[in-house]
Amino acid sequence: MDLDFAKILLYTFMACFGFCIVLHMNSPLQMVAACMGGVIGWAIYLLLSPGLQETVCYLIASIAVTLYCECMARIFKEPVTGFLLIGIIPMVPGGPIYYTMEYCINGETDLFLESFLRTFGIAGALAVGVLFVSSSMNLYRAVRSSIKSKHS
Amino acid sequence: MEERLDYTTLLNLATEIGFDLLQNGAEIYRVEDSVRRIFAAYGIPNSDVFTIPSCILVTINDEAGRPRTRVRRLTSSTTNIMRIERYNSLCREICRRAPDFEWIRSEIDRIDSSPCYSLFVQILATAFISFSFTLFYGGNIWDALVAFACGFILKPIFYAMQKYNSNSFFNNIICSALITVLATLAFHLSIASHYDKIIIGTLMNLVPGIAITNVMRDIIAGDLLSGTIKFIEALLVALGIALGAGLAITAMRLLAVL
Repeated sequence: MDLDFAKILLYTFMACFGFCIVLHMNSPLQMVAACMGGVIGWAIYLLLSPGLQETVCYLIASIAVTLYCECMARIFKEPVTGFLLIGIIPMVPGGPIYYTMEYCINGETDLFLESFLRTFGIAGALAVGVLFVSSSMNLYRAVRSSIKSKHS
Repeated sequence: MEERLDYTTLLNLATEIGFDLLQNGAEIYRVEDSVRRIFAAYGIPNSDVFTIPSCILVTINDEAGRPRTRVRRLTSSTTNIMRIERYNSLCREICRRAPDFEWIRSEIDRIDSSPCYSLFVQILATAFISFSFTLFYGGNIWDALVAFACGFILKPIFYAMQKYNSNSFFNNIICSALITVLATLAFHLSIASHYDKIIIGTLMNLVPGIAITNVMRDIIAGDLLSGTIKFIEALLVALGIALGAGLAITAMRLLAVL
């Protein structure tokens, strides 16, 4: 179990690393930081998935990844976009899209519908996670800077 | 400022920076905000910038109150994190010390000609992504090696089709069908044991993960129009992938390969 867990995380890291190159990220330290975002997200998903409903797992994992990426963006003083693009990738529902299609051409309508809704559920959970954290961070920043300008 | 400001050059430079940011996949609010800040740095507080994923419009008023406008139409965009970061720090530099226009021009040229990863490295990276995701989705090492080969073939074809301005919906259908054919052939020849893992692993290269993230970032910033455009784009990509793979699997079943 533990070895399998470590292996999956290693594969996640490798896949994210590939995406760093395809998306032209070039500072090595930043690449490692971005890949760790993907690994953290997937690790949280795997740890939660035995106990919770799938969509909730994706939501929590995506909140965690976005928080991590916002922190990294502060540390590296670079736009958060790059970190976030790579961090979210392991959670993108590539598998569900494929299986939805396969059920469709097999004519298994009920499985198709279930899988279709599941795919949308995952994509929605990811999106809501990003929305929630980024909006909170924007609000926090706006409030902090307005307080600062009042005091000075 | 003693000397008179050259409005035309400033407008061209600011629009070009905004255009380059947009072309390299920056969010809409970043593009608009950067251009507005550049004008503010040169003492033009009320500039108007409007951006959607395919177009950027910039208007300022010069010292006599005459409006000056620049429109640039964008036909294709990529994601290049390094260039977004460079343009972003160039903007910060401009806002900090309002440098002269020659310097900005030379910086823009320098960023545009700065080296990216070559096509071959990108092909290797695509193959590596396919390899990793096949293992990630539970394929064995032979599946992963076949996926590596599929990724290696996928990237040059996708690149060539983009280069000849083929529309992306069609691109995705063709590429996804091609991968499915290759994977099922490998399965038929008993090189690999799970064709579905190979297909998913390689298709992760095309799946609209980037689009999903960008949609949300635009919607957060209130750019609902751009968010909607990108959402439709993401849906079309997903639909194209599913359609291509579906067609290919059906064809392979008819040919009794599967």
